[in-house]
Amino acid sequence: MSDDAWPEAAVDYVQAIADTKLLLGQRYAQWSLAAPSLEDDIGGASAAQEEIGHVRQLFRLLEGQGRDGDWLRGDRDPDAFANASSLDTPGETWVEFLANVGPADRAAWFLLDAIDHDDFRGMVDKMGEDEYFHLEYHDARLETLAAEQPEALQAALEPSLAGSLGLLGPASYDEDADPVFEAGFTSRTVADLREAFVDHYESLFADTDVSLDGVDWDAPAEDAWDASRRRADGGSISDADLVLLRGSRNEVFAIR
Amino acid sequence: MNYAVFARINKGDDTMYIGGVEAPSDRLARVYAYEMYDEEAWDYLAVVRDEHLLEVAPGTPAVEGGSA
Repeated sequence: MSDDAWPEAAVDYVQAIADTKLLLGQRYAQWSLAAPSLEDDIGGASAAQEEIGHVRQLFRLLEGQGRDGDWLRGDRDPDAFANASSLDTPGETWVEFLANVGPADRAAWFLLDAIDHDDFRGMVDKMGEDEYFHLEYHDARLETLAAEQPEALQAALEPSLAGSLGLLGPASYDEDADPVFEAGFTSRTVADLREAFVDHYESLFADTDVSLDGVDWDAPAEDAWDASRRRADGGSISDADLVLLRGSRNEVFAIR
Repeated sequence: MNYAVFARINKGDDTMYIGGVEAPSDRLARVYAYEMYDEEAWDYLAVVRDEHLLEVAPGTPAVEGGSA
């Protein structure tokens, strides 16, 4: 790890990636025994392990930048987590779950892959090997759901895609306005990542009965966007989620 | 649809049948195989739809003598 301090905006940027991955791991785990097939169960359990592995690496880097380890691992209020808003709840149905995790996982990967800093060399390549199959799984599953339950999927995607755009950042963050890009921490602007993200989903659903006309592609509103949490709606995970993330009920089993 | 999963650990090894997956699409079958059979760092991993496997034996009829 380099001795360099990252720009403050970059620390928040990586925190949002890490917290989104933490909640992705949690949501995958919650659905890993409730998926429609054994293959989906196993895939979800595997993805959960991989996301938590990524979180451990990112938390290590964030501790190196001064973030408190206990705070990172859950000693904080729900509204101190900077996860994509679509991950605030597990989703009530399998369709909602898939619509929530797919775009959030892709947005987090786009942000991570855009980082151009020595502390991330090699590590991001390895994470990318895992992410290839996460994202391929989501898209393949979204394709089947688009054929089987287009109306339910469309309704679930509208808030989810807008929330993932919030994680990516405001549309106005181009070469002249994106502070993380301007600091040289990333090689692609938020505006560039958003364009790739929108193109991906428009292409994925182009030949299906799922319409994305109702998606707020301009989200988030910049004046409402919280740069430290990378979201605009002020929401958060629940207290019950926090108990699960902390592992509070399992402390008696901890090896000390 | 049912798929057969084939793999080899090292380059040059025989490619072996290691199991199966059930999936609604070829794209999902590839992912399921990767996730379900991740106990090795495979050099090669592939899926084949069961319906695309061409049975050779048993059941191959004996060639008939030319009596026409």
